[in-house]
Amino acid sequence: MQQQADALRSEALELIASAHDAASLEAARLKYLGKSGAVTALSEGMRHVPKEERPVIGKLLNDLRAAVTTALEDSQKRLLEAADLAAFASLDLTLPGIFPSPGTLHPLTQLMDRAVRCFRRMGFAIADGPDIETEWHCFDALNTPPDHPARNEQDTFYLPDGRLLRSHTSSVQVRVMETTPPPVRIIAPGSAYRRDEVDATHLAQFTQMEGLYVAEKVSLADLKGTLEFFFRELFGAGTDIQFRPHFFPFTEPSYEIDIRTEALGGEWMELAGCGMVDPAVFEAICERRGDRVYDPEKVSGFAFGFGLERLAMNLSRIPDIRMLVENDLRFLKQF
Amino acid sequence: MKISINWLRDYVDCQLLASELETLLRRAGLEVAGIDQRGAAIDNVVAAEILESTQHPNADRLSVCKVNDGSPEPRQIVCGAKNYKVGDKVPLALPGAVLPGDFKIKTGKLRGVESEGMMCSAKELRLAEDSEGLLILPPETAPGTPIKDLFPAETILELEITPNRSDWLSHLGVAREIGVFTGLPVKAPEPELPPTASAEGQVRIPGEGCHLYTLRRISGVKVGPSPQWLRDRLAAVGLRSVNNVVDVTNYVLFELGQPLHAFDAAKISGSLQVRAASEGEAFRALDGREYKLPTGSLVIADDNGPVALAGVMGGEGSGVTESTTDILLESAVFDPSSVRRVSRALGLFSDSSYRFERGVDPEGVAIASARAVELILQVAGGTAEQTILVTGKCPERGKVSLRHAHVRDLLGIALTNAEIESALARVGLEKLAAGDETRWSIPGYRRELRREADLIEEVARVMGIEKIPSRAQGPFAASSDADAAYDFAMNLRRSLAGMGFHEARTSTLVSAADASHFGEAVALKNPFGEDQSQLRNSLVPGLLAALRRNLDQGAKSIALFECGRVFDPGGEGQRLAIVLTGERHESSWRGGTERSWDVFDLTGAVRQLASLHEQDIVPTLAPVAPFGACADLFLHGKKIGVVGQLTPAVARDIGASTPLLCAEFDIALWRAAAFTKTQVATLAKFPGSARDIAFVAPLALPYGEVRSLIDSLKEPLLESIRLFDLFTDPKGEKIPSDKKSMAISLTFRSPERTLTAVEVQAAADRIKLALREKLSVDFRE
Repeated sequence: MQQQADALRSEALELIASAHDAASLEAARLKYLGKSGAVTALSEGMRHVPKEERPVIGKLLNDLRAAVTTALEDSQKRLLEAADLAAFASLDLTLPGIFPSPGTLHPLTQLMDRAVRCFRRMGFAIADGPDIETEWHCFDALNTPPDHPARNEQDTFYLPDGRLLRSHTSSVQVRVMETTPPPVRIIAPGSAYRRDEVDATHLAQFTQMEGLYVAEKVSLADLKGTLEFFFRELFGAGTDIQFRPHFFPFTEPSYEIDIRTEALGGEWMELAGCGMVDPAVFEAICERRGDRVYDPEKVSGFAFGFGLERLAMNLSRIPDIRMLVENDLRFLKQF
Repeated sequence: MKISINWLRDYVDCQLLASELETLLRRAGLEVAGIDQRGAAIDNVVAAEILESTQHPNADRLSVCKVNDGSPEPRQIVCGAKNYKVGDKVPLALPGAVLPGDFKIKTGKLRGVESEGMMCSAKELRLAEDSEGLLILPPETAPGTPIKDLFPAETILELEITPNRSDWLSHLGVAREIGVFTGLPVKAPEPELPPTASAEGQVRIPGEGCHLYTLRRISGVKVGPSPQWLRDRLAAVGLRSVNNVVDVTNYVLFELGQPLHAFDAAKISGSLQVRAASEGEAFRALDGREYKLPTGSLVIADDNGPVALAGVMGGEGSGVTESTTDILLESAVFDPSSVRRVSRALGLFSDSSYRFERGVDPEGVAIASARAVELILQVAGGTAEQTILVTGKCPERGKVSLRHAHVRDLLGIALTNAEIESALARVGLEKLAAGDETRWSIPGYRRELRREADLIEEVARVMGIEKIPSRAQGPFAASSDADAAYDFAMNLRRSLAGMGFHEARTSTLVSAADASHFGEAVALKNPFGEDQSQLRNSLVPGLLAALRRNLDQGAKSIALFECGRVFDPGGEGQRLAIVLTGERHESSWRGGTERSWDVFDLTGAVRQLASLHEQDIVPTLAPVAPFGACADLFLHGKKIGVVGQLTPAVARDIGASTPLLCAEFDIALWRAAAFTKTQVATLAKFPGSARDIAFVAPLALPYGEVRSLIDSLKEPLLESIRLFDLFTDPKGEKIPSDKKSMAISLTFRSPERTLTAVEVQAAADRIKLALREKLSVDFRE
C-alpha cells in the first residue's frame, strides 16, 4: 500500500507539474481526484484494510490527497500568473490613446481669469458696466474736455442717439461710484472700442481690465503696492516694474507702467496706465449723486487700466492681433 | 515733436548721451519715441565745384568732369548723374573715404577713363532716404569744406508730448525740464524788450478767441535765403527753409514755442482786426488752397478781407516774399478751442495750430516777438519800430495753495516741508506764503497748474515715484452680483471646454445682414465699414463666420462656443452660443462606426451643461431661419435658450456638408432660473425592477408625447424611463414604412421594500394600456 501510494504520488505530481494549460490541469485533476480517479480508487481500498492498520493507511491516503490537491492549486496559480503575464505581453501601450480630446478656453479668457483671481486675492470685487455708454460716463465725468480729440467721430463709435461705444472701461469707475458709496475696491474686465482700422496690431474692439480703489486716505503708496504685487503675481517675483509719469485727464498724478520680465520676452513693455483719481472726477460724481460721500476732501483713490490683447500676444509670442479673433482651431487648440 | 540735442545745448549745458537723456526725460514724463542720428560725419568727403563737364569717350551715360576740391590742381571725376551744371558745388568723396554701407572710394578707371573719387548724392551720404542725382550744395559753399562741417552730426529726439504740457513743444521748454531734473542752470534767450504802445485804433481784437495780440513793424528788410546755421537748425527739426524772415518765425516757434506770423506790410490795406469770419467768407491760404471758412472762424482781416486764419495759417496774398521790404510781425495768443475748431473743420493743421490748440504762454508773446526781431535784423537787416503795438492784456499769474499734510497723505510718504517746497521751486514756482500751507505763483509756461492736485503731482514727479514706499494692504471686499455672474459664465466656459468645445471670441460689430435674422439691432452712426455697422444681436453669426473659416482651413470637426455680449434697442445682455459640425470622432486604429455630429449630440450636450430633463427641451412649432428645426430650452420652467439644426441653405452657404448644429442661451435668464440643490436624494436601499416594453407607433408620433403620457400617469413606483431602441424601416420589410418601433425600459422601485413581480407587472400593464388607448400604438406580443 505504501509503495502504491508513493508511486501514485510521484506520477501525479509529475503530470500536474507538466500541465501547460487549464484543460490539461483539469484532466490531471480528474485522473487522480475525480470520481473514478486513481487517488479516489485507492481510497476505495480502505474498506479491505484491517482495522488496526486503518489509522496508518488512512493518514497515508490523506497525505496523498493533500499533496495532490496542493500540487493542483500550485499549478493552477502558476498557470494563471503565466496567463496574466501573457495578457500584458501582448498589450501595446505605444498605440495612440483614443479618449476624446477636451476643448480649450480662449487665451484672452485664460489671461483675464488669471488677472481676476489675482485681484480677488487682494480683495477686489468685480464690477460691470454697459458697452454702450453715455458721453457723460465715458468722458464728461472723467474730466475729459468737450473738445478732447478722443471724443471725435474719427476715433470713437457713436450711435445715432448720441450714445457711444465706450472707448475705455474707465466708464465703469463712474458707474460704480454713481451707485455705491465708498469704500469701493473693484476691477472691471470688459470690451472697449476705438474706431481704428484693423491691422496686425489694432482691433476696433479690444479687451481691458479696469481697477478702482476709493476710500479714506488711499495713497500713491497703495497704488504702487497693489500693482507691483499684481504684476509680480502674474509674471513672477523677478519682474521689473517701472512707473513713468504720464497724463490722463481722470487721474493725477498719472503714470504708465512698464514691465520687463522673461515671460514677456525680456524687453521693457508699456503695459498699463494708472494714477490717483483726479478730484474733478470725484466732483462730477458728487454732483451726479447729489451727496458729498465722494468729496475729494474726504476720500481719495487710485485707478488703473490695461489691455489684455497685447499682453496675451507677448506672453505667447502671437505675431498678429487678428489671430485672437479669427478663431482658427489650429490656433485655439494651442492654449 | 523733434528736438535737436545741439539746439538744446544753447539753453542748458547738458552733456548727457542721447540714451541718458532719454532716461532722464522719461522720468519727467516725456516719452522719447525715437532717436535719429543725422548729419554726415564722414572723413575725406569735401565740397567741390564742377569746373567743366565733357562727354565720356566710351560711354553714352557717363560724363568726365574737372572739379575744384580746394586743392591747387583740379581733379578728374567720372560721373553718371545729369542733374548738375558747371559751377555747381557738390559733395566729393576722395580716395580713402568710406561711405555708409562700407563703400570704399579709391582711384580707378571707369570704361577706360581715370576717376579720382566720386561725386555723391544725398542718399549715398545717408543724408536722405532717397534722392536722385548729385546733392547740389548752396552756391556760397567754399570748395574743400569738409562735408562733416556742412552737415554736422546731430542727434534728434522724437518726443511724444502729453496734451497737458504745451511748454514742452519747444527747445527751451525741454531744456527747462532738463534743468529741473539735473539742477543745471537754464539760459533762456533774453532779447531786448521794446516799450509797448497801445494799438488802440490800429488793431482791434474781439472779446472772444483772442485776448492778447501784438504787432511790430520792421522796415527795409532784405528777404533772401537764410544763412546755413538757420537752415541747418530748421532741417534738424524737419522744416524746409522758405526765406530768412519766415525761417526766423519758424525758428522762434521751435525755440520758444510761440507761433509767429510775418505779414508783408505793403499788402495790408488799412487797419488790421481780429474777427469772426462772416458767412460764406473765403480765404486763400499759404498752401495755395482756397478755403471756405466756417462762420465764426477767427481770422485776421484788413479792409479787404481775411489775411490770415488766426493761429492756423497765413494768407497767400499777404505773405513775405522776395519783394517784401516792410513786415508786420504778429505775436499773439489765440484760444485753444477756437483754433481747434477751425483747424478740424478745415482739416488744416500746422505747427502753429498744434501749439495754439494746446495753449501758448501769454508771458512769452512779447519775448518771442523781440527774439524774432533780433534775429530778423541779424539775418535780413532792416530797422524795427521802437515800440511794439499791443492789444489786450497778458493775464495775471495764477496762484495756488498747497496743504503739505495733503501732499503727504496722497503720496503716502512722509516728506518734510522743505522737500516739498524745494520740488516746487525747481519747477519754477515762486513761493508767496510760507508755513504748513504754502501759496505759489505759477509762471505762464506752467499755467496748467491750477489746483492743489496739480502741485502734488509736480512734487511726485520731481521727487520720483521710486522714493514712494509700496504699501500692500486693503479692506475686505464683499462679492458683487457681477462676481456671481462672472463665476457663472466662467463655470459654463470650463464645462464646455471639458466637453470638447473650443472657446471663440468674435467681434461685437457685425453687418446688417448678419443682424437681420435675430430681430432688431442697434446701428452705429459712424461705422468703419458696412460689415461692422451694427452691434450684434446674437452670437450665432460671428460663430458661423468662425466655423466657415475653419471649414475653409480643412477642419474636419468643429465644436466652438462663445460667451459674450449682445445688444438690442432694449439694452445689453450676455449670451452663450455653441456651434457644432463635422465628424463626431476622429477615425482611429480601433475602427468603430464614424458618423457626423447630429442634433442629438448637441441636445445631449446642452442637457448635461444645464442639467436639463428630457422634457425641458420643447420643439418650436414654427422654426425661424437660420434654424430649420429647433427646440426651446427650459430650466425649472423658465426659457433660457434654444437648440437646433440650421437650415441646409445656411450650411450650403458656409460650405458645410454635415449638419450644422447650434444652441444659444441667455445667461442672465439661465442664472436667474438656476438654483443650487439644497438636499441630496436618498440612496435606494431596495433593488429596482425593470420592465422593457416595445411597440409600433405611427412614424409621426414624437417620443416626447410618449414620455409626457407616461409622466401624466404618475405611477408612484415608476422611477425612470429610458428609450433604448428606435427602429424605422423605409422599405417596409420588417414594419410598415409609415411606422416606427420604439423600445422603452421602465424602472420601478420603492424606497420602503422590495417590489413583487405582480405589482411591477401591474404598473407596466397600466402604462401599456394607456399607450395603446391614448396613442394608438401596437404592442408586439
